[in-house]
Amino acid sequence: MYPFEYAAPTTLEEALALLRQHGDEAKVLAGGQSLIPILHYRLARPRVVIDINGLPLGDIVVEDGRIRVGALVRHHQLEESDAIARRCPVLGNAARLIGNVRVRTLGTVGGSLAHADPAAELPAVMTALDARLAVAGPSGRRTLAARDFFTGLLTTALAPDEILTDVEIGALPAHGWAVEEMSRRAGDFAIVAVVALVSLDGRGRVDDARLAFGGVADRPMQARAAEDALRGREPSTDALARAAQIARDALGPPSDAFVSGAYRRHVAGVLCRRALARAVERARR
Amino acid sequence: MPDAVSQVATREALRVVGQPVARHDARDKVAAATAYAADWALPGMLHAAVLRSPYPSARIVRLETKRAAAIAGVAIVLTAKDVPRNTLATDVPGQTTAVGPLRATLHVLAEDRVRHQGEPIALVAAETLELAQAAVEAIEIEYEVTPGVFTPEAALAPGAPAVHGTGNQLAQWRIARGDVARALKDAAVVVEGEYTTQLVDAAYLEPESGVAWIDSDGVITIRLSTQVIEHFRDVAEVLQVPQNRVRVIGTYLGGGFGGKEDVTVEAYLGLLALKTGRPVKMVWTRQESLLSRAKRHPYRLRYRTGANANGEIVAQQIELLADAGAYAYLSALVLLYSTVTAAGPYRVANVEVDARVAYTNNPPTSAMRGFGAMQTVFAYESQMDRVARTLGMDPLALRRVNALRRGDTLPVGQVIETHVALPELCEKAWAALGPPAPPRAPHLKVGRGLACNFQPYGRIVWLHDWASAWVGFEMDGSLVVRCGCPDVGGGQASSLCQIAAEVLGVPLTRISVHVSDSALTPLAGTTTASRQLYMSGNAVLKTARELRAPLLRVAATLLGGDADELDMDEGNVTTPDGRTLPIARLLAECARVGVPRSHLGVYHAPAGEPVDLARGSGKVFPDYTFGAHAAEVEVDTETGVVRVLGYAAAHDVGRAINPQSVEGQIQGGAVQGLGYGLMEEVVVEDGINLTTSFATYLIPTAADVPDVRAVVVESGEGLGPFNARGIGEPPIGPPAAAIANAIEDATGARLTRLPITAERVARGLGLLEDAG
Amino acid sequence: MIARLVLNGRPREVEVRPNQTLLELLRDTLGIFDVKEGCDEGVCGVCTALLDGRPVSSCLVLAAGLRGSAVMTLRGLERNGGLHPLQDAFVRHGAVQCGFCTPGMLLTALAFLERQPRPDRTAIRAALEGNLCRCTGYTKIVDAVEAYVREGHA
Repeated sequence: MYPFEYAAPTTLEEALALLRQHGDEAKVLAGGQSLIPILHYRLARPRVVIDINGLPLGDIVVEDGRIRVGALVRHHQLEESDAIARRCPVLGNAARLIGNVRVRTLGTVGGSLAHADPAAELPAVMTALDARLAVAGPSGRRTLAARDFFTGLLTTALAPDEILTDVEIGALPAHGWAVEEMSRRAGDFAIVAVVALVSLDGRGRVDDARLAFGGVADRPMQARAAEDALRGREPSTDALARAAQIARDALGPPSDAFVSGAYRRHVAGVLCRRALARAVERARR
Repeated sequence: MPDAVSQVATREALRVVGQPVARHDARDKVAAATAYAADWALPGMLHAAVLRSPYPSARIVRLETKRAAAIAGVAIVLTAKDVPRNTLATDVPGQTTAVGPLRATLHVLAEDRVRHQGEPIALVAAETLELAQAAVEAIEIEYEVTPGVFTPEAALAPGAPAVHGTGNQLAQWRIARGDVARALKDAAVVVEGEYTTQLVDAAYLEPESGVAWIDSDGVITIRLSTQVIEHFRDVAEVLQVPQNRVRVIGTYLGGGFGGKEDVTVEAYLGLLALKTGRPVKMVWTRQESLLSRAKRHPYRLRYRTGANANGEIVAQQIELLADAGAYAYLSALVLLYSTVTAAGPYRVANVEVDARVAYTNNPPTSAMRGFGAMQTVFAYESQMDRVARTLGMDPLALRRVNALRRGDTLPVGQVIETHVALPELCEKAWAALGPPAPPRAPHLKVGRGLACNFQPYGRIVWLHDWASAWVGFEMDGSLVVRCGCPDVGGGQASSLCQIAAEVLGVPLTRISVHVSDSALTPLAGTTTASRQLYMSGNAVLKTARELRAPLLRVAATLLGGDADELDMDEGNVTTPDGRTLPIARLLAECARVGVPRSHLGVYHAPAGEPVDLARGSGKVFPDYTFGAHAAEVEVDTETGVVRVLGYAAAHDVGRAINPQSVEGQIQGGAVQGLGYGLMEEVVVEDGINLTTSFATYLIPTAADVPDVRAVVVESGEGLGPFNARGIGEPPIGPPAAAIANAIEDATGARLTRLPITAERVARGLGLLEDAG
Repeated sequence: MIARLVLNGRPREVEVRPNQTLLELLRDTLGIFDVKEGCDEGVCGVCTALLDGRPVSSCLVLAAGLRGSAVMTLRGLERNGGLHPLQDAFVRHGAVQCGFCTPGMLLTALAFLERQPRPDRTAIRAALEGNLCRCTGYTKIVDAVEAYVREGHA
């Protein structure tokens, strides 16, 4: 690798001071699973790497039904957390799909969200959960809704002198969930990922539905029209198929050298229907 | 009906050969005790890096290395002008121009032109890898991009830019036998198909690596991962030093698959070591390897297959077009293999093959497991299945009707001299799939497919192949085997020990083997062409037998009786009546009477005269290994995703020297074939390689493939030691076709373009009609 | 910079460059070739080491960031100069051909079996999906792990 300077702050204030000092000549290192390959390929050449693994951001806290996940929580911790399995199983199950076992040992929630790969699972999950992302910067802290955080291809609303500190998921009513994804090979980046959350009312109709896609655009996409089409309805096979079709028709995924946009769109529709069916099935249990 | 030789005709009581013994190198490898080529450091060692062209076709307008060379810690920067012999020229086999043989050139470093992305232009050696990479970036270079050609069709069109000085057709082979036009006209059915195979990479886990140094006697020593230690001659040529001043030590490879058959790092290492006088290490990055290392030829294969109503294939009209990339390497030979095998392992009276390979500005293509006989399998087995369907015939029955038999003649005129177990292999592979998997859901369709193949083993007979080996006892009765045979991981070295143990009765724990050193081990030729067991195995067998005979004559003087009745077992000489003489005692006597306890032997493969393929006049390869694979797939008819539920691969290996190794080769080759069939592709657009990382060049993981049931059939007929046949390459041929045939069985969709991705299946199923 | 780690049971403090990875620390500085270099992007698995008991791509870990963690490589498995039963199972079942993937496979399998001691073949395959092998086709690797479990070592 080419030479760079290394700093390892132990407090958030120290880390922010370093970022302020070095500006866009610095990159933040968390799990390293995305950053280090970029440095190996020389796609980015920061003069300073700021290793934030020493910061106290590694906790999962449940408070009044809300779940706060520190930015340095590793993917395997999401997989293994009892609290998350009880209250927000979609998160732990999505984490299980991330990369391979080594990526899950070190990769972090904050790192994955800040990297903002449009095909990644966590950005889609946080969008579906309507999570709030907490960011610390020189002028203090602010929170953003997930849908406002992802602004483009590998781009977020994080300013160069800010650090994502944690993610908060609001208290959720009882709900069914599902994550469906398709990749070119086992354990690979997803071509398309769908996250579905469905809660049913006392009469078995859809009280609320959340649908988010990864891999279909330059950022996670929430299928609002499809969600609207489901609310208040009986979640019959036809209703789910119709919602999936609405979701699919709203998508215009790009083509790349490996997969065409038309195929992504088609798969998004199929996986959406399946995810909704699974979520409803779980909601009914 | 399988003929009587489907059972091993005369099975001597073998003690070691035929046993699934644990390989000696396996113990070292599980303990990470094996020193691969990059696991080597010497005092004062420099690290090397390569400057490569980002453009597929360009002139080098300016090249200035002073700034790079001036960086502190950089020992040297070399370009083409610093290479004593920079251009190597070889005759292209079998191809002539008006004035003589067609020549192909290869440059060690690019001169004024680059012809493919990744072509090497300059070399750097520095104190650290970091500095070497910095120096590469500091080299000042300006290019003028020139028009290139990126498909063989475009390359062969009139007016196409010439990749080299001549026209872009590198080689052509033709076969014409019988009257194809008439046979097609009279045939009951004619099936036409066009198939496309893709560019793929060997993707060995160990990248190209090596360390070179000048030995105390001035010998340039290169220790590297290679399938061919004889490249010391090429290095000597490049450096313009005598051949006996270059030594290549081949390490245990972390995979070869043909990708380490050409010269890779050795010329660079030799140059840098010679010019700096210091040890130099070079390890290619994965990106470098995926970018620019020679790959498997992509093919366009056009077939017209004619059959009678009873299933007899009466005609094959075949057109092959392959992409050689920017440099010839072994393309003409690869094309030859395709031409000879194009009609498949079947008896066909009327065959026309027109095979061509063209230069393009794509990454160069060369040897890779299967060597041209692999791509044709996808085409001929897809055709066979389609003929079966058209006739309403069972696919196994169609193979049975047409399978070659001993005494039949290949289109090229070669008579098949050994047993062909094809019908038996088909039955066994199909049966090994077991009961059909129950369908899991209405949208998941299950189907099964069969594919057969034949792969030559041993080199072309007019190349007069040979291999040598040295076998010798130490005074205490322990044994040493020396053989120049590189071990690519398939148990090459350990098989030699088994053979020596069988003949000389020495326990495997008392045998040490030294392989793959051009100065210290007798040369045995390349570990390629499924030839190594055949050649070095026979060399060790012959050498051990030649060593044994005089030893037993001495033993007879000590034990009495006839030397012919003595045996060697468990470290002793034994008599029919059960007396034993420890080998160490025998050797002491041999020393006393002057009978050598070691021997250097040479095995010469039966040779033949060059064959004019077009006139179909004779033997090309020593023999072939036949196989049949069966696949069960589940196709998700909503997404096109294909899951391989079950897979069986049957091969007649003649005799399995080590059954466990043979199974391992079959399973590994089958999975590489599944990767080829389902997911691997080097995507190149206008000469730019888009898959230069393992994140985008996908090879199968453990979760992508099922258990492969290896069915080992031993006909007892083969030209290798103890009647073995080569098994390194054969298993890679059938999988792509087996999958395509299984998908058609499941869904009715016929996929003709590799790899068979989910998207291609989806399109084949018509799922994207309305999507545009 | 100083990297602090407990390497195969022994505490070590090693001078490292800021940009030096754990892989480079092990191979270039300490001469430990148990870990190999295959892709520099964390995909192939030949550089696998166990960090505090969990598999990591050592090519993606900056050595300077090691703050006393336990790092285990293959030689950490050695038992009185003999092979660990899983290593022995690999040898007996023909799970080793070129051997380049073998150290990573062994460590990954062992770390997995710590958490899931009675897996079936499907679970074994899923556990090893991040370790590429180009030679064996995986069947005999799964055979070896299954045998190890069956023989009661896990």
